[in-house]
Amino acid sequence: MEAWLVATGLIFLYLVATIILGVVANRRMTVDLEDFLLYGRKAGFVVLYLTVVATFHSAFAFLGSGGFFYSHGIGFWAAGTWTLLVGAITYVLGTRIWALGKAFGYITPADLLADFYESEAVRVAVAVISVLFTILYIQVQAQGLGYIINVASGGRISFEVGTFVLLLVAAAYLVAGGLRAVYWTDVLQGVWMYAAVWIGALVLAHELFGGPLELWRQVTAERPDLLSLPGPRGFFTPGMWIGMTITLSFGIVFQPHMMIRYYTAVDARTLKLLGATTPIYLMTLYIPAALVGLGGALVLPDLAIPDQVFPELLFRFAPAWLTGLILAGATAAAMSTLDSILHANMTVLTRDVYQRYIRPDASQRHYVWVGRVIVVALLFVGYQMSVRTSDFLVVLVTLSGSGALQLMPGIVGVCFPGGRTLTRTGVLAGLIASMGVLYVTLWAVPHPLGMHGGIWALLVNTVVALGVSAVTAPPSAATVRRVHGELERFVYGTDN
Amino acid sequence: MGPRLAALPPGAPSSAAMDDTPRFRPHLVPRTRDGRIATIAFVALFLLAMPPMTHLVLNRVQPQVLGLPFLYVSLFVIYVALIGVLLWAYRRGV
Repeated sequence: MEAWLVATGLIFLYLVATIILGVVANRRMTVDLEDFLLYGRKAGFVVLYLTVVATFHSAFAFLGSGGFFYSHGIGFWAAGTWTLLVGAITYVLGTRIWALGKAFGYITPADLLADFYESEAVRVAVAVISVLFTILYIQVQAQGLGYIINVASGGRISFEVGTFVLLLVAAAYLVAGGLRAVYWTDVLQGVWMYAAVWIGALVLAHELFGGPLELWRQVTAERPDLLSLPGPRGFFTPGMWIGMTITLSFGIVFQPHMMIRYYTAVDARTLKLLGATTPIYLMTLYIPAALVGLGGALVLPDLAIPDQVFPELLFRFAPAWLTGLILAGATAAAMSTLDSILHANMTVLTRDVYQRYIRPDASQRHYVWVGRVIVVALLFVGYQMSVRTSDFLVVLVTLSGSGALQLMPGIVGVCFPGGRTLTRTGVLAGLIASMGVLYVTLWAVPHPLGMHGGIWALLVNTVVALGVSAVTAPPSAATVRRVHGELERFVYGTDN
Repeated sequence: MGPRLAALPPGAPSSAAMDDTPRFRPHLVPRTRDGRIATIAFVALFLLAMPPMTHLVLNRVQPQVLGLPFLYVSLFVIYVALIGVLLWAYRRGV
């Protein structure tokens, strides 16, 4: 059987499996907004683990990481630092976010910040940042999906059709089963993508070099420039290393589709175990990615698009079944992130906009249906963004990775009692200043002095937030006592 | 959900008075022995995986380990140790 037929067939088999899971999830769902948006706050360890890791690793981790090793060498092994930091953040901060969510009924990141800072302006700013900077990820993932299916079918299925079909499938199971469907499909996706990237890399290493160690030996002999810092193109400077570590840990954790996952845990101990163990999956996924990228640099040294190194190696050197298995894994990587972002945007728009400002007193069933309508709308917005990219969108996508990072001062102010609290004016001033700095340091003058633009924005944000907070009124004593008192009881079991 | 979320109507002013604001002992500083050990171990190990250690020390050690670059192997060992710290903290109930 021809390779393209096997590859496309396996992808569609995978899509059928996700739809079946969506239908089953629908039958288990109750008409309740917490069940639809937050899995009823009952996610256990296995489901939560696989949804978090599958959501964290997008199409970029699957395809782009190989491309990074291919272009910049061993410096991308810095990925271990940000995956470890994600674990620590979940352990320390995620449990606090969970505790406050359970105590006060928070559903979105904006709920948390607006409640503590007593400000609708903060709610709107956080909701806007949450949607603006993550809706762009829909475009990135959808484009990745279109590309994967186009490559898998050997160009027989166009990019546009592939993008639309895969977006439609993700939206369909989300509409059917809400977050439960997303979580269950993420379990399948998390297992599939991990197995696919490891099997693919090991098979290629054996086929092309006689094994992983022999691959490393040949890279040492032929391309030593790939095995030292800052890499052949000087990319991994100290500033970039630190910047990527912070933006790809805090910056991703503070995106709504990741933060909302903290609210869904069944208990705090589950979240702590999640924090302690997620780096095992997240970090070890980059071991085979290094084999793919570095091996590809020897075998296919002149690729125009480095991100294509994995599929190019597969189509040239791997059996058809393996190519299909791995491209379905790449589809899983992109869809597990895409469905989570669709869900997060739906949640923010339903909760922070519709329920808050348009129909505050409607029934649970009404909000569930509004959420479904929003998903359909997001489906079409995402599709249009994917096929009609523009210079402005390119700018926003460049900004998106660092956007959510700017919520950090406000969130830390809520979750870590002690000292003087930030104020609503300070948080807002910091956010506004950081958006301007982001534009300059990521687009106009990218990464000044070798430091990642997101870090420059975070520094300015923090200084402005602290400075303005020093001269403006803090949240009311009752709110500080209620929220920080809850954290004091949760963490230390005392009132003060 | 809903009812327990602090109900602040849109545009409602804050009646904050700085003097009334309760003070809590800082949560950024661990209060237990196990908490201090876990924090110090994690931060110390993490700094080994960051510049300048990575660029000035790990990057310059030439001998390979089992055919792999020292930088790659040493970072892997540090990452595993960091996971060990998190698991230790979990088991100790930090």
